[in-house]
Amino acid sequence: MAFAHLIPAAFGGVAWGILGGALPGISPSITMALLLPFTYGMDSTVAVVLLASTYVGAEYGGSIPAILIGTPGTNAAAATVIDGYQMKRQGKAGEALGISLYSGFVGGLFGLMVLVLLTERLSSVALAFTPPSYFALGILGLSVIASLAGDSLLKGLIAGVMGLMVATIGTDPVTGLNRFTFGSPELLAGIPPILVMVGLFAISEMLVQTTAPDWEKATHESARIRFPSPALWKRIARPQAIGSLIGAFEGMVPGAGGSISSFLAYNEARRWSKHSEEFGHGSPEGVAAPEAANNTVACTALVPMLSLGIPSSNSAAVLLGGFLMHELVPGPMLFVQHGEVVHGLYAGLLVANIAMLIIGYLIMGPCIWLVSRPKPYLMAFIYALVVSGVYAFQASLFNVGIALAFGVVGYALRFFAVPFLPMVLGVVLGFMVESNYRRALVLSNGDLTTFVRNPISAGLLVTALIVAAGSLIRHARSHARSR
Amino acid sequence: MNRDLVFGTATLAVAASYYALTSTIPQSQLADPIGPQGLPKTYAIVLAVLSIVLIARSWRTANPEPSNPEPTNRETTNRGMVRVAGMLLIGIGYIAVLPYLGYLISVALLITATTYFQGGRVNGRTLAIALSGAALFWVLFIWLLRIQYPAGLWPSLI
Repeated sequence: MAFAHLIPAAFGGVAWGILGGALPGISPSITMALLLPFTYGMDSTVAVVLLASTYVGAEYGGSIPAILIGTPGTNAAAATVIDGYQMKRQGKAGEALGISLYSGFVGGLFGLMVLVLLTERLSSVALAFTPPSYFALGILGLSVIASLAGDSLLKGLIAGVMGLMVATIGTDPVTGLNRFTFGSPELLAGIPPILVMVGLFAISEMLVQTTAPDWEKATHESARIRFPSPALWKRIARPQAIGSLIGAFEGMVPGAGGSISSFLAYNEARRWSKHSEEFGHGSPEGVAAPEAANNTVACTALVPMLSLGIPSSNSAAVLLGGFLMHELVPGPMLFVQHGEVVHGLYAGLLVANIAMLIIGYLIMGPCIWLVSRPKPYLMAFIYALVVSGVYAFQASLFNVGIALAFGVVGYALRFFAVPFLPMVLGVVLGFMVESNYRRALVLSNGDLTTFVRNPISAGLLVTALIVAAGSLIRHARSHARSR
Repeated sequence: MNRDLVFGTATLAVAASYYALTSTIPQSQLADPIGPQGLPKTYAIVLAVLSIVLIARSWRTANPEPSNPEPTNRETTNRGMVRVAGMLLIGIGYIAVLPYLGYLISVALLITATTYFQGGRVNGRTLAIALSGAALFWVLFIWLLRIQYPAGLWPSLI
């Protein structure tokens, strides 16, 4: 795959991401999920670059309504509202948008550097992986559920088990027998994770938006981007560094994600600032730190996803779905079998970060136009895009029905305050866990100690235990504090 | 009513149904020690136990509201629920009519109906936007991406 083919994918992904991220309620993961069906027929490297670039663009896009109308386009942009909207009220919207764009660029480049340096090293043990190791890797992925469960660990676990149940639909991995297919040939290959994701993320959000109030509209006069002056550039360097470092670490920690890192970065930037009194009243540093952090996360969240196949955020889970759709299995063997895809992704992300600077400047007008459209029309077009895209995936109306069904499940999970990322993890990792567990037992004549005799498997299981225990302790402490 | 209790009861029912369905999985001479029923049965039992714990906890909880009640911030009145149901019916309707009306008309109808259920008005402007949108999607999916959507009954009428 020539590098030149990746450039339009990176630019296109960033443009789509900025537009999606700029729409309040449409998160980066939803923006990516909407695009997922279209990538099916594409070259695999182009497809993953397109999806990853969408993630990069959406993280910046979220700051546009945060600054212009005081409503974050994405969860991660919530911290940007504090000072970004204040700057807009002081007539400095263009400056705030420029700081956001430039800080996102700095954070994105730093995140990419961390991604390139760490990912391949983490997966250097690739060739030593056997069925017990793959099983243990799946368990490590599932142990993340404890940290993704939000406020209720119990509900997160329930969602995770339901995801595992969905993964059992289709042909049994060892005997080839049909399970839970009800005689339907469409279910023989199981339920593709993409349909689960489109349903849970995109369709359920649309159902929620049906009853949500409309958002404020932006005006064209408020938004002409102004890049920071040299003096301001110097002033925001420290908060950018703080944001990038926090984003790099938090991006790799499952469950942390852009929202937590941007608030942490905001808080630390205020603590280390010489002008801490300006925070909350339109401080440029208060925009720079969270924006650098959430754009760093867009790259570093891919470290555990690419190296171990563990998605640490909703967006990484959707990207994982994109990889699986192209039969690219993130994890140890990815670098051995499809090294060109990974290197293409690195190059694509570099282009995407540069593209963000250019497109971020050019797309401001269309973004404001889009955010200002009447919500009923906007939602109608998104719905048409979702059902058309899902059909396009395998030219199947059955798939549209499955996605709608998962939309209902997603709406119900939201209604009952159940996190749905554990369910996605269960669906994505279920097949890997079951097939390798049973293969390992067949190869060892039913000897369960095979999982602890293999050093990689034992190490991964111990890590899973530590991750789960750490999350349980955090949950217990937070529960005790809230009493 | 306590939402955790309702959710726990629903997932308990899912666990019971799923466990019952595992008995429909045929046996195989080639089966490994775990077998195709092994893990599904385990999942059903784990889900049942978790559901029972949630139900028990919801009985004991002084504050029955969920700790992160996102949708309760939004309008969850009967009118809102009707809108949500309407959106789903629009999707089901789209699946039902697409083979007969073809892509262009079906998408135009979907856009019109969704606009109405999202609080918009159905007037000449909406119909024009719906038709333009359908044409845009037709160009994107059928002309550019070459996806084979059902043509509907139209070719047989010509």
